[in-house]
Amino acid sequence: MKRRNFLILGSVLSLSPYIDAKASNDFEKQFRKVKNLIAAVQSHMFPEGSKIPSASAMDVNTFLFETITHKSYDKDIRVFILEGAEELELQTKGRFLSMDTKEKEKALRTYENTSYGSNWLSRIMTVTMEGIFSDPVYGSNKKEAGWKALNAYGGLPRPKTRYVAL
Amino acid sequence: MTSHKYDVVIVGSGASGGAVAYTLCKAGYKVAVLEKGRLIKRDEFSKDELAYCRRDIVTPNLFDEYHVIEEEVDGKWEATPTYDSGWSFWNGNVVGGSSNFMSGMLHRMHPDDFRLKSKYGEIKGANVVDWPISYADMEPYYLKAEEVVGISGKYEKHPFEPPRSTPDFTQPPTKENAVVKLLDKSCANLDIKSLVTARSVLSKNKGHREACYYSNFCGSYGCSSGAKGSSREALLMPALATGNLTLLSNSYVKLLHSSSKNAVDYAVVIDTVSGKEKRIEAKLFVVAAQAHESTRLLLNSANKFHPHGLGNSSGELGKNLIFSAGGSGQGELREESLKMIKFEELMQTGLFVNRSILDWYFVDHWWDGTFKGGSVEFMFEHQNIISRARKNNEEHGRLVWGSELGEKVTERFTKQKSIRFEIFNDWLPNDNCFVSLDKTHKDKYGMPVGKLRVGAHPQDLKVGKYIAKKCEKVLEEMGAKNIYSSVSPVPPQNLIAGGCRFGNDPETSILNKYCQSHDIPNLFVADASFMPTGGSVPYTWTIYANAFRVADQIVKVLEEKQIV
Repeated sequence: MKRRNFLILGSVLSLSPYIDAKASNDFEKQFRKVKNLIAAVQSHMFPEGSKIPSASAMDVNTFLFETITHKSYDKDIRVFILEGAEELELQTKGRFLSMDTKEKEKALRTYENTSYGSNWLSRIMTVTMEGIFSDPVYGSNKKEAGWKALNAYGGLPRPKTRYVAL
Repeated sequence: MTSHKYDVVIVGSGASGGAVAYTLCKAGYKVAVLEKGRLIKRDEFSKDELAYCRRDIVTPNLFDEYHVIEEEVDGKWEATPTYDSGWSFWNGNVVGGSSNFMSGMLHRMHPDDFRLKSKYGEIKGANVVDWPISYADMEPYYLKAEEVVGISGKYEKHPFEPPRSTPDFTQPPTKENAVVKLLDKSCANLDIKSLVTARSVLSKNKGHREACYYSNFCGSYGCSSGAKGSSREALLMPALATGNLTLLSNSYVKLLHSSSKNAVDYAVVIDTVSGKEKRIEAKLFVVAAQAHESTRLLLNSANKFHPHGLGNSSGELGKNLIFSAGGSGQGELREESLKMIKFEELMQTGLFVNRSILDWYFVDHWWDGTFKGGSVEFMFEHQNIISRARKNNEEHGRLVWGSELGEKVTERFTKQKSIRFEIFNDWLPNDNCFVSLDKTHKDKYGMPVGKLRVGAHPQDLKVGKYIAKKCEKVLEEMGAKNIYSSVSPVPPQNLIAGGCRFGNDPETSILNKYCQSHDIPNLFVADASFMPTGGSVPYTWTIYANAFRVADQIVKVLEEKQIV
């Protein structure tokens, strides 16, 4: 299976400016442009009033940024996360943030119809769940709210540092 | 006579390298163990799912070091580098190797596994041969591994349970979840005998190691009490205590150098932190880098005396690579339909299932026929939280999100517990499963990477499916819901052996029956590379046992000054 195909095929952006965004502050700059859009998608997937903690309460947007910029994260998927957001922005003609819940649902389901969009949404969901259900040392899963919701707790000993102090 | 700082250099610190180091250091020889990865100590391990299970923290980044995997697609062999597929073939590159992260469900191979060809005859398209040694040769070493590594269990008589020279294990089984009552009863109802699985996890303190503390996160994680019988805890630490072991972590071995036809004289080693290259000399060299990497090292060590790789005068190096065939399946034990035991008991965390079935190890049935079958292990679904939360959240090909997702995930965690089985049957050695060097791809140290063709024999699938059906019946009898199983020819990258077959004939094998190179007397291969066939159980116990056996031979060779 060629994993990287889904990262490239299907995007209208033919050449990514992010590939060259090597320096981390460059990446941060690029991320800032789509930060709110990604946060809105995370909130739509993990809303308030669900049986699991919400995206905003768990600060998963910060988690997402810190996670994908860590050196242990796949560098191609890191770029894919930004490109996929930009693609959604294009497809919704820059309106996504101002949409109501119903419109957002429709837009995301439309995006999901393409394998590119579906892969991107799946990736956002995975990274978000990594935040809500990983050890609180990573900054999300605040007060173990994610674990409490599932009555499932991380094992002992718990990590004292992120990524085994890599 | 040259004087060496080390008598023996061992490449790799996992199960086999550890067993050789342990034996040689105790016998008073100076040993250097070269480990590519770093040292993570017992008190540095944690149950950090994100780090250990979702990122390459204990294995190389695939853009730096990788393999090329050849799979059959529409009748053609298609090669994909693992940085492209994300399918890592590394299994724990830290001191102690993948033994740090095993679940530790262990079995001895059956006496008939040592003579599969004599017992079952030729199988078309498979390169099955008898071993040059018998179970009787290995038994004392299975026992040694049991005692030194610390394997807990309970012996029960069964036609396919290999005989043993002591009545029972010195360590009783680890504590078990109440689900075993239901499992045992369900098996009995089906006239199946469930057996207690031996496990390389201590149920009682042993020397510097403390008994299991039932953390609920065993496989894939390092052990924080030392209960797990990893090479690091059980073998390297006692070896270090002798003062004879030099443990060199962050040491990548590029190649073994020989300046004559008959001997390896030094290892070319890169310090992975500084990038500096150095030579490490010794009288004798032991390769123990895990099957596919051991072969790769010998191929990368080709020179004018050994143009096709070290010890490869037979041309057999890398051939007959094997994995473990089989598959897995699971079903949900749900609160509303649970029989015999209380739901709270089922949900109790940390305790083991410890059950296996050997009834189908050899099948001789009036209708099904006579063939070599396999073994089955039962366990709970891995208790990782992120990965469980991420499962089964698609409906009609669409992601589930919003409050519906909340319902689904909490239900999955609080209303059921999934019980699982894993099947282990022979991966028949065949001409389409081998390791060679890739002609173009190199790792970050500039060395050609291993290219693995991973073709499976059709018989493996047939056997796996036969057993999976039986296991689904067991889950049904237990009252499990949503049962499914999957048996495929995709190889499990953590169960790998072969490539340097041992045998009595130098024309058809790489190693002699002591796992010493036929061509180069001061070169041994101690890991699972030697195995011509793999048996139908996980390899680990056999790897430990065989490495202890090989180590005794090395002591003999050094004592008798066959090598100076």
